Amino acid sequence: MKQYDVIVIGAGNGGLTAAANCAKAGLSTLLLERHNIPGGSASSFVRGRFEFEPSLHELSGVGKEDEVGSVSNMFHKLGAKINWITENSTFRLVVPAKDGDKDAFINDDGVLVSVDARMPVGFENFAKKLDEIVPGSYEPAMKAFGLSTRMYEAFDALGEGDDFSGIFKALPYFPDLMRMTTHTLNEGLDALGMPKKAQDIFSTYWSYMGVPGAQFDFLYYLTVMHSYVMNGAGMPKYRSHELSLSIDKVIRDNGGEIWYNSEVTSVIMKDGKPAGVVVNGDKEIYAKQFICNASPDFVWSDLIGKKDAPEKQLRMSNARKTAASLTTVYLGMNKTKEELGIKDYSVFIANSANSDEQFAGSQNYDGNYCIINCLNHVIPDCTPPGTSMLFLTTITFDDVMKDVRPQDYKKYKNKVAKLMIEQCEKALNIKIQPYIEEIEIALPPTFSRYLNTPYGTPYGYRLEMWDSMIPRTIQFAQDQPYDNFIFCGASQERGDGYGCAYHSGEKAANIVIKSLSKEGK
Amino acid sequence: MSSPIKSLTVKKFPSLLSGRQKKFKTGSTELPSGTDSARELARALHPDFQYLTVAEVIERAPDCKSFRLIPDSNRGTKKLAYFAAGKYLTVFENINGLQVTRAYSISSSPKDSLDGKYELTVKGVEGGAVSNYILINWTPGTEVKVSAPAGNFEYQPLRDAKTVIGLAGGSGITPFVSMANAVADGDEDFNLILIYGSRNEDSILFKDELDKIAAKTNKFKVVHVLSEPNNSDSDPGFEKGFITSELIKKYAPFDEPYSIFICGPQQMYNYLDNELKSLGLEKKYIRRETFGEVHNPASFSDYPSDVPDTVNVTVTICDETKTVSGSTSDTVMQILEKQGIAVPSRCRSGECGFCHSHLISGKVYIPENLDYRRMADKMYDCIHPCCAFPLTDIVINVPAAK
Ligand SMILES: Cc1cc2nc3c(=O)[nH]c(=O)nc-3n(C[C@H](O)[C@H](O)[C@H](O)COP(=O)(O)OP(=O)(O)OC[C@H]3O[C@@H](n4cnc5c(N)ncnc54)[C@H](O)[C@@H]3O)c2cc1C
Ligand code: FES
Repeated sequence: MKQYDVIVIGAGNGGLTAAANCAKAGLSTLLLERHNIPGGSASSFVRGRFEFEPSLHELSGVGKEDEVGSVSNMFHKLGAKINWITENSTFRLVVPAKDGDKDAFINDDGVLVSVDARMPVGFENFAKKLDEIVPGSYEPAMKAFGLSTRMYEAFDALGEGDDFSGIFKALPYFPDLMRMTTHTLNEGLDALGMPKKAQDIFSTYWSYMGVPGAQFDFLYYLTVMHSYVMNGAGMPKYRSHELSLSIDKVIRDNGGEIWYNSEVTSVIMKDGKPAGVVVNGDKEIYAKQFICNASPDFVWSDLIGKKDAPEKQLRMSNARKTAASLTTVYLGMNKTKEELGIKDYSVFIANSANSDEQFAGSQNYDGNYCIINCLNHVIPDCTPPGTSMLFLTTITFDDVMKDVRPQDYKKYKNKVAKLMIEQCEKALNIKIQPYIEEIEIALPPTFSRYLNTPYGTPYGYRLEMWDSMIPRTIQFAQDQPYDNFIFCGASQERGDGYGCAYHSGEKAANIVIKSLSKEGK
Repeated sequence: MSSPIKSLTVKKFPSLLSGRQKKFKTGSTELPSGTDSARELARALHPDFQYLTVAEVIERAPDCKSFRLIPDSNRGTKKLAYFAAGKYLTVFENINGLQVTRAYSISSSPKDSLDGKYELTVKGVEGGAVSNYILINWTPGTEVKVSAPAGNFEYQPLRDAKTVIGLAGGSGITPFVSMANAVADGDEDFNLILIYGSRNEDSILFKDELDKIAAKTNKFKVVHVLSEPNNSDSDPGFEKGFITSELIKKYAPFDEPYSIFICGPQQMYNYLDNELKSLGLEKKYIRRETFGEVHNPASFSDYPSDVPDTVNVTVTICDETKTVSGSTSDTVMQILEKQGIAVPSRCRSGECGFCHSHLISGKVYIPENLDYRRMADKMYDCIHPCCAFPLTDIVINVPAAK
């Protein structure tokens, strides 16, 4: 009977870096993936003459040419070569005017708006721009970036990584960290004296994590803002599929195995802990250690079951909320971005500038909130000459589609897509519909099918105040179910995002490598 | 340095950690249900497999039959997956111990699937391994295994014109029968004008069905085009000859845009490519279904010379490695299947990516018009074995067949 050192369940971003690091450390590594390609969210798909990016809006931690970011550094260390392209803006927020808004104005698109904020990269630039739009917000914004900078210094000083006790001991020296992680984004910005309207603009990225200003911890949000505003974001030139295949190659080149179309259908338990897995219902494979990129909820319900699931894990699953679900409309356009009049890479369009109101509107598809991205702004030649590609994203939660029957699905999809397209057309005063050459619409069931997560969430568990990054990080070890079975991916301490998932896989691998070397492998 | 957020208390911190553990204790000890509305829908629409039985066989023409298929709950399929008209099913067959697959467009109305009925229509292909096997062996009671509905050949209201001109040849009629039904049922909302090329009146498939649907709704109309009419094929409604741009113009709306959907044999595509040029339509208004495997790679002008007749293929699937030899005029997929090695497949036309595999060493020929691979696939030597012909001995990693 062959026994691997480590089996990694799932080749999403977390599973990929986990397997790559294990293989690189010389462990016999088997990565099992139910889909036929790697990456989970991180792949691509072809329709006609377009190759679409399924999920990546922007990847922080890529750095500029001269400066290596944490994510590009991780690829570099693994020996994976990526064609990185960096981006020079953060976001634009457009809020069409509501009736009776006395401050509304007509912007250069000819639209009557309450807010039109096109935000640059760089702390100073960002704060200045915010101050231009909302006088009195320069100082508070700079203070916010000052705080986030100190937090990164603190993380660095603690050798951010495996030594949780270090973080714990150091906490008293970081009163601001304790303040920030126990107060909401809104409370934090209030404390800095940021005007409300500037707070709304500052909070625009909430949907990247799915938690609005009144529920999101100030610390985590600031670190996210920091990473996007400091250097801007980056993208791989050949869609996320390039990222995933580059790690797939690292795994193989280092002697690791990857089996695609190989779904783990149950976990074999021995003496109360995992000893192996069953693949596609009939093939048993054994290992000493397990890293699991699959959704914990489904691990308990589908793979391990009531008898062997630790009670605490069941309580954890049941006490937590599922994070946000996404809906994306992918459009291949037979006009260029100039012909369409799309001036930015990333525009957040909402009926209210306020993140809490946007969140409240996300319980339904009602055309209240949509992010429109045009990849040609970052990668000009990502589509053939004379064309361009757009993707429109909105956020929902849980059971939005519970009354949709299979036979209504196609009509429902198209209704949702139409709402989103029309919202963008109105807010930017452009025409999209006549120029659609290819369209694909992904709703929560689509993501459920590809990611196999509750409600198709790509985000793991909701980062509520009580369950945010700092407490998750400090309690990471006690959150793990068995001493030879570690979770990685968006369900873990840093929550969602490519960078977070990559780091979580690396961290899980380091723990496994350490514990196997202790065993004297 | 004094803190800019001094006004926020630090005192809430200790209870953050204990609070989290307390919060976990409030969670129930029930097993998570493992189901939610998104997962239910995904599973209903995309089951891994569907287990069916043949309920009825309808003779459409001497070499063509329709098969009514119903779910086989004994083997685990209680309900059929709903589908958008135009989708196909991949049929899994075991012929003389060899696992093979073929794609067949669903010819029945999506609505019928709610009553537990799919219809597939198979036309015999001269020398064809699977079509002729099905025509002989599928009889009422035969157990059949198929995939979930798949494919991209369907009407998209946000992309396509309100009127679709369907161009069908031979068994390429099948997705259009489903679309015509869907239009009549109100399942789809567009006008379908079907221009259907057959040899003569006797070889028209679904003639009565199509006429019946056209009588039900003014959103569907069919025009038959006969290339070799018999003297008796004198219906004044028939057009004679081939599907030309002139003929399309005759039936297309002249005052509004229209989309063209094409499904038929490869020769028809080659011929229509030229004809359609003169219509000057935007690319978005022309869609075609992929229709099967390519054979005879040497017929492509960029196929290299000096290719050996046979090569060795070393394949690793999970933990098993085998070396087999095969003909360079077969695709990598065909070579493996002929040696009894099951390979993941759906469209067999290069398009769906389901057979995505890693070429570890060696060279293959991929006809350019079938190369639907992602850009990064080309950088990392990933190929679709269903449309890759080996040029040298190759070593390949293939996912488990599913
Ligand atoms: C999306 C889709 C939908 C489809 N829907 C339908 C449908 O609704 N109804 C339908 O009838 N069909 C349909 N088809 C076609 C169908 O899948 C099969 O391709 C068809 O039935 C032939 O299969 P076969 O096994 O009989 O022939 P194959 O064994 O695949 O052989 C095909 C032909 O190629 C020839 N050939 C083999 N090798 C070579 C070579 N080296 N050089 C030259 N010629 C060669 C054979 O002699 C034979 O004539 C569809 C295909 C696709 C992709
Ligand atoms: S089976 Fe569809 S691409 Fe090969």
